[in-house]
Amino acid sequence: MQPAAVYTRDRCVTGIHGLDEILRGGIPYGSTVLASGTCGSGKTTVAMEFLVRGALAGEACAHFTATEPSVKLLENIRQFAFFDMNMVDTGLINVFDMDVLYSWLGLEKSSFDLDDVHALIKAIVDIVNTIGVTRLVIDSVTTLCYKIKSEQLIRDFLFTLGKKLSTLGCTTILVSEITSATENAHWSSFGVEEAIADGILVMGDVERMGHLLRFLQVVKMRGTSHSRAKHAIELTPIGVMLTPMLKWGAQSDKQGRWGA
Amino acid sequence: MNKQYTFKKEDEEFFGAVGSFGVPKFDGEMHGGVPRGFTMVSFTDTGSGSELFGKQFTSPAEESENTLYVSTNEGQQEIARVFKKYGWPLDINVRTIGEEYNSEVLEKELLASRYRLEGFRLEDIQRLAQTRFVDETHQDYLTEVTNEIMSLGPYFRVVIDNLDFFLQREDNSKVVAMVRMLQAHAQLMRGLLLINISNDGLNPSIKQELASIADMVLSFKVRTIGTDFETSMIVSKFRNAPENLKILVFRVTPAEGITPETVERIS
Repeated sequence: MQPAAVYTRDRCVTGIHGLDEILRGGIPYGSTVLASGTCGSGKTTVAMEFLVRGALAGEACAHFTATEPSVKLLENIRQFAFFDMNMVDTGLINVFDMDVLYSWLGLEKSSFDLDDVHALIKAIVDIVNTIGVTRLVIDSVTTLCYKIKSEQLIRDFLFTLGKKLSTLGCTTILVSEITSATENAHWSSFGVEEAIADGILVMGDVERMGHLLRFLQVVKMRGTSHSRAKHAIELTPIGVMLTPMLKWGAQSDKQGRWGA
Repeated sequence: MNKQYTFKKEDEEFFGAVGSFGVPKFDGEMHGGVPRGFTMVSFTDTGSGSELFGKQFTSPAEESENTLYVSTNEGQQEIARVFKKYGWPLDINVRTIGEEYNSEVLEKELLASRYRLEGFRLEDIQRLAQTRFVDETHQDYLTEVTNEIMSLGPYFRVVIDNLDFFLQREDNSKVVAMVRMLQAHAQLMRGLLLINISNDGLNPSIKQELASIADMVLSFKVRTIGTDFETSMIVSKFRNAPENLKILVFRVTPAEGITPETVERIS
């Protein structure tokens, strides 16, 4: 008997050392992935490298920043050898300040209603569609969702945005800020992001002999099998490096930064 | 302790105890003019000539750099055209809040509506990607105008035409507080301040409060008589000179602008 043909989805190769191996080739195209992590865990760097690797492959990328001004973000990213300012100048990497986008859309308000949310989705989708963006980062979705007061509206926003971006073949990383990355913690601030996202990457710190080690764990990734093990990550000038943590001992992994 | 300002003797002689309304016949009716330091509030009907009276009030402009006309409805060109027509000085300071509001706020809102409805074009996206900072043009026109008037020196002459713009956009108690501050400043600096306010839609308690702050209260009225319009001004408050309370019918002449009909008509 012939074995059934195994269907595999096309992958968006992140280019991040070790991550594509964990994901058996990369993130399935058009997925919306939540990159959740505590502060300083490397979320922005991982997300930025994801874009830069795409730009190096000639893909159009967009980054919406709500947590730090784009000027600062670009300054910080310049220290990485894989980044070249030409990518921004030539329009391969497009960095948008969310406060500028809000201002242009007349959204300089403390809370968004349904119309505002739709206007924001339309603007992001317009940008993706017009310049043919295939890799998108929103950093952070938490900051954005703070302006959406209803849980249902947050759900609608993320679901509609994810669906439209997926249709356009855009792979998206939504950076999410969490206060704890232990196994009992939520992977998102509002609880709804993790249910809607196709994938979840959790980042945090574990203490090892007086040092804080950054880790990354793929908790969920629809459309592919993947390792669920914690991996140590190191932010080096040549990019983010992932190495398995298991061989260092499972017991102390439970000692998260904020306690088990 | 109250603030005090020492005036130069030669200035006191030059400016005198009263200033002209810019309408000689009205000056005569008010026994010489308006006492220095007065704040006048005029409650106006649409089409009653109060805008013209406001402009005419700036025409004596003893010191052009110390004379300010604040308009919330007209543009610079429109105002200049009227001043030219009547031969009033063109070197006074004119602030056109309505024009500023249109270009700074309404145009931005219109553009935001366009983006929301029609979406971004490629050139919009390229510009957005290159824009790193929000254009902080949020204007607090009330504070700005207050500060501008408060910075004027002795014997200033100011017209605000009209206060409706602020009453419609700001907390009314804040607007009343602004008028109170300006009245105190006018008194201290012996300035002359005229504020026009439309009667339409004006909250009676705000009207009452503004009338009590003012040293002089005018009302501009218009009514029809047969096929004609009759415009009149009513002086219903004149601090410390109740003999000045009057009802004056006026007309607008090409040579003099607003001109009270001082000869009693035979009905």
